[in-house]
Amino acid sequence: MENRIGNDGIKNVIECKGISKYFGEGANKKEVLSTMDLSVKENEFVVILGPGQSGKSTLFRMIAGLEKPSTGHIYVNGKEVTGPNPVIGYVFQRYTLFPWKTVMENVEMGPKLKGVGKKERREKAQYFINLVGLNGFEDAYPHQLSGGMKQRVGIARAYANDPEIMLLDEPFGQLDAQTRILMEQEILRIWEKEKRTVCFVTNNIDEAIFLGDRIVMLEGKLPSKMKKIYNVDLPRPRDFTDLAFLELREEITGETELAL
Amino acid sequence: MSKILEANPNTEVLEGARSSFSIKKILYNKYVLYVISICLFLIVLDLFAVLQVFGNFMPRPIEVLTTLINMTVTPLAGKTLPMHLWASLRRVLIAFAIAVFIGVPVGVLMGFSSVANAIISPIFHLFKPMPPIAWISLAILWLGIGEASKVFIIVIGAIVPCILNSYNGIRLVDESLKDALRMLGGNRRQEIIEVIFPASFPAIFAGLQISLSMAWTTVLAAELVGAREGMGFIIVMGMNLSKPSMIIAGMIVIALTAFMISMAVNYLERWVCPWKTELETTE
Amino acid sequence: MGENKKNMFLKVLSVVSIVALFLGWQLVVDFGIVPNTLLASPKQVIEMFIYKISNANPDGAVLWVHVMTSLQEALTGYLLALVIGIPLGLAMGWFVVVEGLARPIFEMIRPIPPVAWIPLAIFWFGIGLAGKVFIIWASGLVPCVINSFVGVKMTNPVFIKMAKTYGATDWEIFKDICIPSALPMVFGGLQVALAASWTALVAAELIAADTGLGFLITMGRRLLKPDMIILGMMMVGLTGVIIGIIIDKIEKRLVAGVNK
Ligand SMILES: Nc1ncnc2c1ncn2[C@@H]1O[C@H](COP(=O)(O)OP(=O)(O)OP(=O)(O)O)[C@@H](O)[C@H]1O
Ligand SMILES: [Mg+2]
Repeated sequence: MENRIGNDGIKNVIECKGISKYFGEGANKKEVLSTMDLSVKENEFVVILGPGQSGKSTLFRMIAGLEKPSTGHIYVNGKEVTGPNPVIGYVFQRYTLFPWKTVMENVEMGPKLKGVGKKERREKAQYFINLVGLNGFEDAYPHQLSGGMKQRVGIARAYANDPEIMLLDEPFGQLDAQTRILMEQEILRIWEKEKRTVCFVTNNIDEAIFLGDRIVMLEGKLPSKMKKIYNVDLPRPRDFTDLAFLELREEITGETELAL
Repeated sequence: MSKILEANPNTEVLEGARSSFSIKKILYNKYVLYVISICLFLIVLDLFAVLQVFGNFMPRPIEVLTTLINMTVTPLAGKTLPMHLWASLRRVLIAFAIAVFIGVPVGVLMGFSSVANAIISPIFHLFKPMPPIAWISLAILWLGIGEASKVFIIVIGAIVPCILNSYNGIRLVDESLKDALRMLGGNRRQEIIEVIFPASFPAIFAGLQISLSMAWTTVLAAELVGAREGMGFIIVMGMNLSKPSMIIAGMIVIALTAFMISMAVNYLERWVCPWKTELETTE
Repeated sequence: MGENKKNMFLKVLSVVSIVALFLGWQLVVDFGIVPNTLLASPKQVIEMFIYKISNANPDGAVLWVHVMTSLQEALTGYLLALVIGIPLGLAMGWFVVVEGLARPIFEMIRPIPPVAWIPLAIFWFGIGLAGKVFIIWASGLVPCVINSFVGVKMTNPVFIKMAKTYGATDWEIFKDICIPSALPMVFGGLQVALAASWTALVAAELIAADTGLGFLITMGRRLLKPDMIILGMMMVGLTGVIIGIIIDKIEKRLVAGVNK
């Protein structure tokens, strides 16, 4: 299949065409997502905003190839997704560090699986460990790290595998408010330095506006649908107290209240 | 009283309160209590013995001690106490090795293959409720009264935790860790090597731990019937010779060995899986 | 659908596996591959079972009497272990004095495998009911105490602190907070204790008894009757499973009652 070009001439790296998802059969059938179309452009920062249990993770798992859509098709770089594909880097909602590996061993895992030599992959891992600000913790085991640090390792691990697309599934959901804001700034810094397409799931409106080029809002109740898309044209770094920020926030909040 | 203490920490009343408090504190100190407890225990035992509550069948603690020392140097049935201990330990180690060698691969296979599991697990669950010691008669019938039948029974006892924990260890590996590896580009072979084996290792190791202590219990039971050496033999001899001090001396050695085995295994565990602390604290 | 088919297939496979086991066993004996003096066929075991229902020979009692003897010994010892072990463990968990006094003794006794008590038990209490009850008691006691003790120790300290600030006495905290929160642990200990008791009982009966299932197994060996041995083993397994199920049922009832 050809690379699809959007009407503004920029390549669409992710395209979801009429996808839906249900789990179970017969009486246990549970519809999670109903027909949804979504495309994400190269180097775009897209935020998926939706309340808890609205199928955000399910959507990501389908894009990542960990789950098959019940109907419809997903294309990444123009090729239909049939299984996990390392052009996608996934930062999971729950910390999924390998507990028996040190920070360094976790981060170098992607290159190692590809058969990259030890010296080379260490260098690469070290670069990303430094980038997320964990230098000095290379030999620590995950259980010795705080939640924020674990999530940084997860991010470094995903980046070290050289993905073209990053999927971040509520990466900061388990962090306290202060660490969270810090990490949000951090993620933008990394994004600017390591330009990639980023899709980011959150249930936090401020986080969504602070980060996204575009915000895709999901319906609250199952089966979840795409409700609205907001383009956020504010310049970065964005200010939570900026008037335009607050107006957009107001608008989105109004939408979610309607949904409730 | 403690309420007053908190309310006004600088008054006269407090000083008096604190001093009376400290006597209480000494009495309430765990270690002081431990010493008191052990002394009381020995005294009560001694009283029981002297007053002959259980007739002649309760030896004085001091008697047990002399018997213990005596047995370490004078042979009983041709062997001193350390030699008997070694006889039991040897059986345990042989049987444990066999149990691990068979049980872990079987459990792992069951964890990986639902077909293998469907075939093996009903048979396993059919045999599991029979205590290993219940096999003793068949074992003697089949293998005679010598070493083989004893090792057989111990293997029966020790293999159960090996199979169960390996099976569950493999089966219950966190799916999200497998997903994480797949997203990094890992294939099935890498998933097994990099995730499934290390992730199931603590569970399998715990199985070995249980298996070893199971083996130690079972060896005694096996030696109660027709043994010529071993710790089980010693306590049976004590029974046949009406020498309770010998029985208790034997029990002390048995308990100490069990304790030492578990200490050694714990130490080993910390050494082979240093990340394990997480599993204990966060679960 | 594919999933359901696979499950069906696996179930059938399990049944086939069991049937094959018994069939193979029967054939191995019928064709004399294993001499009948060493192994009885399933058919012979069933015949023995039917015979033993009404015949006391050659071991002196009908099957029912053996089962009841074992059950009576096991349950008496088990209940005594619960009645003494649970309160002791609970008290050890909360009252420093009880812990200080009882723990060292308990720690000394704990590593002694239950079967090692057999000779002493026979000396002290004789070969009859009392001796065996003691052995069962000793083996059931350890898990009861440990689980109750750990259960109390695991009580959420926040609740305890809260109760203290409301001026609850030590005894009230123990009664109203520690015990209820320890109950799940205590119940967990019941099954462990049962398994330990049942094993110990069989061992005790093998060595010294004139009735009971363990005795039946021993007699089978003395009389060189493998059908009797296997019958005894199967009855031990079966009875163990049945009491396990009953305890489980009672436990569920109690837990439901407590939760109310
Ligand atoms: N493998 C599965 N089998 C059955 N149901 C599932 C499965 N995965 C997800 N679901 C269901 O799909 C619904 C949406 O789950 P999902 O995790 O995608 O939501 P979410 O928006 O990510 O929620 P959260 O905000 O809690 O992360 C849930 O009700 C969940 O129970
Ligand atoms: Mg989610």
